[in-house]
Amino acid sequence: MSFFNSDYKTPAWLTKKLARRQLLKAAAGATAIAAAPKLVLAQSSKIQLEQALKTDPWLSLQAVLEQLLPESDTGPGAKSLNATAYLFNVVNEQPIEPEEKSFIFKGIGWLNGFAQSQLKKNFVELAFDEKEQILKGISKSRAGHNWLNTLITYLYEAMLTPPSYGGNPDGIGWQWLDHQGGFPLPPKGKRFYELPGVYKISVKNVTVEEKRKA
Amino acid sequence: MKYDICIVGSGAGASPVAYTMAKAGAKVLVLEKGPWLTEQDFFKDELAISLRDVYTPKLEDERHVVEEEYEREDGSSYWQGESTEESGWSFWNGNVVGGSSNFMSGYFHRLKPVDFKLKSTFGAVKGGNVVDWPISYDEMEPFYTMVDEVVGVSGKVVKHPHQEPRSKDFPYPPIAEHAVSSWIDKAATELGYHPIPVPRAVLSQPAMGRRSCEYSGYCSSYGCASGAKGSGRAALLNHAVATGNLTIKPHAKVFKLASDASGKVTGVHYYDRKGKEQIVQADTYVVACQAVETSRLLLASKSKKYPNGLGNTNGLVGKNLVFSAGGTGSGDFFFDEMTEQQIAQLKQVGPFVNRALQDWYEIDDQMFDGANKQGKAKGGTIDFLFHQNPIARASGSQYGEDDELVWGEALKQNLKTEFTTYKTLRFEVFNDWMPTDNCFVELDNKVTDKWGDPVAKVRIGFHEQDLKVGEYLSAKAETVLQQLGAKNVSSSVSSYPPTNLMAGGCRFGDDPKTSVLDRNCRSHEVENLYVTDASFMPTGGSVPYTYTIYANSFRVAEHIKQQWQAKQTA
Repeated sequence: MSFFNSDYKTPAWLTKKLARRQLLKAAAGATAIAAAPKLVLAQSSKIQLEQALKTDPWLSLQAVLEQLLPESDTGPGAKSLNATAYLFNVVNEQPIEPEEKSFIFKGIGWLNGFAQSQLKKNFVELAFDEKEQILKGISKSRAGHNWLNTLITYLYEAMLTPPSYGGNPDGIGWQWLDHQGGFPLPPKGKRFYELPGVYKISVKNVTVEEKRKA
Repeated sequence: MKYDICIVGSGAGASPVAYTMAKAGAKVLVLEKGPWLTEQDFFKDELAISLRDVYTPKLEDERHVVEEEYEREDGSSYWQGESTEESGWSFWNGNVVGGSSNFMSGYFHRLKPVDFKLKSTFGAVKGGNVVDWPISYDEMEPFYTMVDEVVGVSGKVVKHPHQEPRSKDFPYPPIAEHAVSSWIDKAATELGYHPIPVPRAVLSQPAMGRRSCEYSGYCSSYGCASGAKGSGRAALLNHAVATGNLTIKPHAKVFKLASDASGKVTGVHYYDRKGKEQIVQADTYVVACQAVETSRLLLASKSKKYPNGLGNTNGLVGKNLVFSAGGTGSGDFFFDEMTEQQIAQLKQVGPFVNRALQDWYEIDDQMFDGANKQGKAKGGTIDFLFHQNPIARASGSQYGEDDELVWGEALKQNLKTEFTTYKTLRFEVFNDWMPTDNCFVELDNKVTDKWGDPVAKVRIGFHEQDLKVGEYLSAKAETVLQQLGAKNVSSSVSSYPPTNLMAGGCRFGDDPKTSVLDRNCRSHEVENLYVTDASFMPTGGSVPYTYTIYANSFRVAEHIKQQWQAKQTA
């Protein structure tokens, strides 16, 4: 499988997500497992991210995010918005669809496969213009377009969500776009997936190991 | 234990009954499907309110089937259902204690006397099931006033051509207004219109143990952290719990009301948090889980006595569902065409726009080509507002001029332009959604929810008249934006229902053959069953529903209280 497989169809989870975003623009499982959600502490999640960034997929994901939203004098980029940390929060703490999580990671494999086939290097090793060339190349395929679009959507979130989610440090995204954030903002411990009784763990979101324990 | 009264649901229809009965001394049980959140759990978090499933179920777990009309090549048509799990179009609203009243904008316009007698005023409409209500505005008025005082409504009565009669002014002064409100006043007055301050269920002063509005600039669909917004939870349930007479069970999903051979409800069956079936009993039962789910629950509550569903011998449960017709529109103000002062005024964040027009609440215009050939028709309400959600605003900035994906500096430029060069003023039009034979709730015969129970199938047919009225009103609203000098003025009137504004399905009336509920919103058939959400409404009116749901629920609660008290003394 690559970005260029002709039998790729936009999956249902993405169609639904896009439909919801479109609506907004214009305007638990068979049995819930009675266990507390596995909450990753802020401290350890920072260490986890540092660890994860030593290898793929996070090394490449970080490079893609920084290419999609570069740091420059026109405004903050992925780096100063902590976009990688935000995406790390999304896939590790937020209740994301397993299919979407897997798509984000698979895309890194496909991206590096394509970079290797074109330029005999992994994405992170490329120069700025070469990275542009590779991203332009994959954006022409349906799967590549969807993948980049997904990452850009998370860049918006990294830029414009309350800082407790890991992006938008000190509200710099809001400041850049002259947007006034609201108050009160959710502190850690009150992010949407931490509200009492709200986040139901569905069987799909529990790792295999935990399923066996149950 | 056996309760005096058991209420299914906890929103605007449920909470006045819980409040009234708990204060009267009755033992009350409220069963709510969702969790019990409080002011300490509500934040200005766009992820929570719209981008993730936080206050509503995941559609994989609980869904609806929505039936739309499709046309064949030969011009004939057919109805085809699609599960909302496929479409992603959620019909859920606020499954938490207090229901969707936690997430309302709180535009509290009353119905007007004409709304209680549409048929006798404008005549029958072909293809529409319009009827007069069994009660008049005068019978509802004291209960609107009760809502003003108990829930807390801020506003100011001004003279205008369609001002309804009121026994009192609002108990709280209007909430602070945005600078653009005075712009709207000027432009609308120049056009000969009568702009009015919008009454809001938001406290402008601290009262009743709740703080006043803190003007964060994010209201509407956000839960309120100050307690100023008059949700059923903040305004009523908290006080009811304090009496010691109200028990609220969150995470209790009711799926059936059992009934016996005598025709009375004998118990409520629900799934608890762990999915285990539980049964609870009371003398009197109230259903108020929002129009679609209320009809679904009655239809699913079959018994020997009621093989078609509870109180549904005449087959009318679920019929004549209505939404709110109308549309939305907007105009843009570009900063490079404005003075520094105007820009500063426009950019203000916090106070409310709070302006409405009801000049065309009844249309009387020869140019209007509706069902009534004299140009008379029921019209509606126009409200002005700003949107504040930044992620929704950013969406779309990744597309270039040819709809190709852009990133890097081009993306940054698009974002900067989107956010910092203009501001959009919007309006919303509310007009009646004509009840028809093509808008109703049934049980779906294939699709089930995560507990294995049939889901509600909602047919969303509409009447052409609704679009004509919506377009007429939108055109009027556009003239205000034009007069203000806004650019890109446009509007969109759609036949698609706004899923947060639903009513009907169990219309009330004096004739048991043509209605589900009597004038006290008690089932004609089932003597210990009441329905107190918007399901009772035979026609929906041309304003958002919550105010009227509250008022009617207080009215019914008074009746239930008298029945209960009579039984105590007997």
